[in-house]
This record gives sequence, C-alpha cells and structure tokens, in this order.
Amino acid sequence: MIGSLSLTAKIKIGLLLAALALAAALPYLVSPFVVSIAALALIYGLFSMSIDLLGGYGGLIALGQAGILATAGYGVGYTAVHLGGSHLQQVFIGISAGLVASIIFGAMAMRTTGIYFIMVTLAQGMIVWGLSIRLAPVTGAENGLRGILRPQIVSADWKFYYAVAIIVLICGGLLLIVTKSPFGLFLRGLRDSEMRLRMLGYNSTFQKFYAFVVSGFFASIAGVLLVYHTQFISPANAEFLVSGNGVLMAILGGIGTLIGPVIGAFIIVFAENMLSSYVERWPTVLGITFILVILFARDGFVGTISNYWHGLRRKINHTDRRRGPSRPQIYATETASDNLEEPNPGLDQEGQHSKQGDY
Amino acid sequence: MSLTSILFQTLNGLSFGGLLFLVASGLTFTFGLMNIVNLAHGAFYLVGGYIGLTTVLVTGNFLFGLTAGALAIAVMGLFTERVLLRPVRGQSEPEVLLTVGIVLVLGDLSLAIWGGDPRSIPAPTFLSGSVEIGAITYPKFRLFVIVMAALIGFVLWYIERRTRIGAIVRAGVDDLEMIAALGINIRRIFTGMFIFGGFLAGLAGVIGGAFLGLTPGAEIEILLYALVVIIIGGLGSLPGAAIGAVLVGLIDSFGRALVPELSFFTLFAPMAIVLVLRPRGIMGRRT
Repeated sequence: MIGSLSLTAKIKIGLLLAALALAAALPYLVSPFVVSIAALALIYGLFSMSIDLLGGYGGLIALGQAGILATAGYGVGYTAVHLGGSHLQQVFIGISAGLVASIIFGAMAMRTTGIYFIMVTLAQGMIVWGLSIRLAPVTGAENGLRGILRPQIVSADWKFYYAVAIIVLICGGLLLIVTKSPFGLFLRGLRDSEMRLRMLGYNSTFQKFYAFVVSGFFASIAGVLLVYHTQFISPANAEFLVSGNGVLMAILGGIGTLIGPVIGAFIIVFAENMLSSYVERWPTVLGITFILVILFARDGFVGTISNYWHGLRRKINHTDRRRGPSRPQIYATETASDNLEEPNPGLDQEGQHSKQGDY
Repeated sequence: MSLTSILFQTLNGLSFGGLLFLVASGLTFTFGLMNIVNLAHGAFYLVGGYIGLTTVLVTGNFLFGLTAGALAIAVMGLFTERVLLRPVRGQSEPEVLLTVGIVLVLGDLSLAIWGGDPRSIPAPTFLSGSVEIGAITYPKFRLFVIVMAALIGFVLWYIERRTRIGAIVRAGVDDLEMIAALGINIRRIFTGMFIFGGFLAGLAGVIGGAFLGLTPGAEIEILLYALVVIIIGGLGSLPGAAIGAVLVGLIDSFGRALVPELSFFTLFAPMAIVLVLRPRGIMGRRT
C-alpha cells in the first residue's frame, strides 16, 4: 500500500506525521508560555483556513472575516457574562451567532465578485466592529466582556492546548474533505472562471453563498476557541487588522493549501509574541511583510518549497514528464486589460498566462 | 423629531455627505480606470489631515494646510503607484491586498508621529463661528464643506465630461487596450490618476480634520463610509458617488440622532438592499 505512493506523497505523509508528533509532545518540550502561544497560533490557523477556503480555493478574498469570528466570540461572551449559561449553551449560541452572521453576510456578498466582494466583506467586518464599540449593553463597548471561563476540564493551559489541537485537526480534516469533494472542485472552477461555470449550468450564486457559510462556520469555531483562550473579548477582536492578518497568514503560508494558513499563522503569531517586546512598531512590520509577500513571494511558504521540490524532481528524473501541481491562482482577474502591460519579472511564470483563454 | 431638529440633522447629513463625497470620488475614479480599489485611501486621508494639522499649527494659515496636505498625499500617490503597485499591475486582487499593507504601515506610523490623542485642525477665522439659518444656528465650517464638495464635484464632472483628459479616462474605462493602441500612454494616465486620487484624499483629510478631527483608527472608519458610499452609488461612477454620499450622510446623521448605539449599523440596511437589488450599485454599470 505504502509502496504504491509517489515519493512526494510519502514525504508529505512523513512531514505530517512528524508535525503531529511534535504537536503532541509540545507541552513536554517547551515552556507553558510557548504552549499557550502555540494554541493561539492553531486558532488563528483555523481562522486563516476559513479565509483560505474562500480565497485560495474560491478566489473570493474576504476582508471581513474577523466580523464573523468576533460575532461568535461575543455570542459566547454574552451567554457567559450576561446570561450565565452553561458552556454547552455558550458554545451553541456562539456558533449559532457566527452562522447567522455568515448567512446574512453571505446573502449580501453572493452576487458580487472580485473587488466588489473584497469591498462588501470589508464593510461587513467593519460594521461588526462598529457595533462592538457602540452596542454597550451587549458588548461592553471598549471594556469588552471579561471573566469568560474555560470549561473546567480544559482550564489548564496545556489541557486547553490539546483540546484546541484536536478541534483544529478535526476541522482541518473536514476542510480537506470539503476541498476534495465535488464542491471543492466547483470552488476551484469559481476561482478560475465563474463565467464558464455559469455556462455549464451551475448556479454559482448559490454555491458562493454556501461556500461563505461553510467558511463562516469554521471562522465561528475559531472565534469560540479564541474567546476561551484569552477569556476575554473586546472590539480589538473585530478590528480590520484581524481580518487582514488572517489573509496575510494564508498568503504567507501558501494560499490554496490547507497547511499553508496554519504555517502562516505560526510564523505571524510567534513573530508577534516573540518580537513585539523588541520591535516597537509591530503593525508597521506586519504591513511591510504584507507588501513584500505580495510583491515577491505570493506562492507563500508551502508554494515556494513545493515549486522548488518539483523543479528538483524534474532535474533528477528526466523521464518524469509530469508537471507538478500547478499553483493555484487566487488572483483570477476580470478585466480584459490584464495583458496590456508586459509580464512582470517578479511573478512566477507558471499560471501567469493560464487564464488568457478565459474569454 | 421637531422641524428644527430635522433641519439640523439634514444639514449635518449633507455636510458629512459632502466630506464623504470628497473621499469617495477619489476612490471611484481610480477604480473606473484601473479596476482596483485603493484601500489605503482612508490612510491617505488621515495622513493628509495630520500633515495639514502640522502645517496649520506652524504657519497659522488654513489654506497652507490644505495645500500641504493635498500635495503631500499626491506625492504619496505617485510613490504608491510607481514603486509598489506597478509590479503587480493588471491583477486586481494582489493590488488591493497590497494596499492593505499600506494601511497598516501608514496607520501605525501616524500613530507614532502624531500620537494617540484626538487632534483637530483649527478652522480659519472667517469660517469659525456659526450663522443663523431660519430657526437654527449652524457652524459656518460645515456649510463651507457642503459648498466645497459641490464645487469640487462640479470641477470633477467638468474634467470628466468636457476635457480631453476626461475623454481619455472615459474611453479608458470602456476599452483600455483600444486606447493604448491609439497611442495614448496608459501608464502615465494610471500614475496621474493615483496622484489625483491622492490629492483628493489629502484635501479631504485636511477638511475632515477640521470637521471631524483626527484620531488613530479614523483611517479605517472613513474608509468604511467611503466603501459603503461607492457600494451604494456604484463603483466608478461620479454621479453614483454623489448620490451615495448624500444618502449615507443623511442616513448616518439621522441614525446617530435617533438610535445612537446603532450608528454604523444603520449603514447596513441600505447597503444590503442595494446589493440585493442592484449588486453593482445604483449608478453602476453591468460589465
């Protein structure tokens, strides 16, 4: 069975097993502080995966996902602080709130594409932020909601870390199933050419809505976990910066892959927590990273390594004529003006011309 | 609501709408031609306002502040287009995402330079104080914003409809390749567009600085308003920006007066309605 797998698949499985072993052993290897940061990175990884489902697979870049994350978080916080509900109720209300927000947002955004989608989602996220600041009776305004306790069984940081790791792993597995399903293929079609899908008779509007709600569901889970991690929620969780961060993590790690956002989240979260005591202006660093990644490394961490690996394989094995999996193009463009300017030297050559035949 | 307070809120809405028009028109212009939305437009606005503030504090002249803010951001627009956006030209999403990076950098740097406290640009003496309109007294500066917005709106309309440069831009919106084939240097038009957009953002920032004040985070807030304006009005359309700005200004001002804790949220309903009925906005064109 194992022998029938390609070398690439074997290496992937090996790396995954190594990562799982490391994740399982982490609390025994590093300080509790680092374990807590790792849990945070996993949560943001899940959040970023939810953005990647829309962006990397569907070509729909959501810049307001923090709105859904925060809505779920406030759902938990409100139930805990104001209603005194049990943890089951908190989680249920949190995820329901996130889902309701995704359904409303999805219904608003489903008919838009490209830039319009970015703008609409950005505005939606900002409106949640505005509510979180002004709707004091529910959200506690700037003070936020404090004293949201974790369930007894995972109250210790290391236990909580394991709980988060298992939940994120399960969610990752579910997302893997979603992306491998016909629906996942459909999402890729959406990314590459929505017009063709429509011509083939797909109802792309409804499918986009569906994708938005699925993505919102995972963002809500991340929101619930985040609130239990910090045991506190405030408007800072709904900020534009959070959504931007989620997108950055996905691109940095490798958009269009599920492991990419998690790697990106680990890089950003650890850099923030380790460096912010040395670097005074962290958002500036983040912004410059954003610009540099988009200018020079749009395939992200995973993409760059995988390109390198497939290049190496082709060199070693001349008979292997198969091309490596082409990197996804999240950036399917709508304009006819794409090809006006000369191709830019900083871009990867693959894929750059693949969409010329769209029209 | 009494009649006087309705009049008062209407004027509030119109003056805020005027400011929004100044911000949104720059955004919508760049979109029409280049098919990108500069999400750093709000940050341009804020930095322009801060530069105007410093200039006004040093020189004591509001007009100098206005000029300095607008010109400085025009230069920033030039830099953004030439250095940062040119390498990713032609691919809308990376361009837009790149401007997100600019938002983070500018927001943080202006916090470092001008501090976290709310600042306000002192209005020039001839515009401070208020005038009586019927039963109410209303701040002169806000009326000035309405006049200014109408004036700039007219100038923009004139440029777009009646000048050669406007004709090129309109033709470029329709068919960029054709325009390039006719021998017009599209790159220069793109750069000019960004400089002009920056100029408008800086101008709006100084006016907004005297009108609303300047605080960290204002860049995102004004961006939200501007985005809602162009989502409602239709991207790339100047009349759309005007209609959207007045609508959003009025809805916001009445919303704040009637249900203060839901302000911001009041923008949600009109946006949702427009998106459901006309996903490309009131004046938006189908592509």
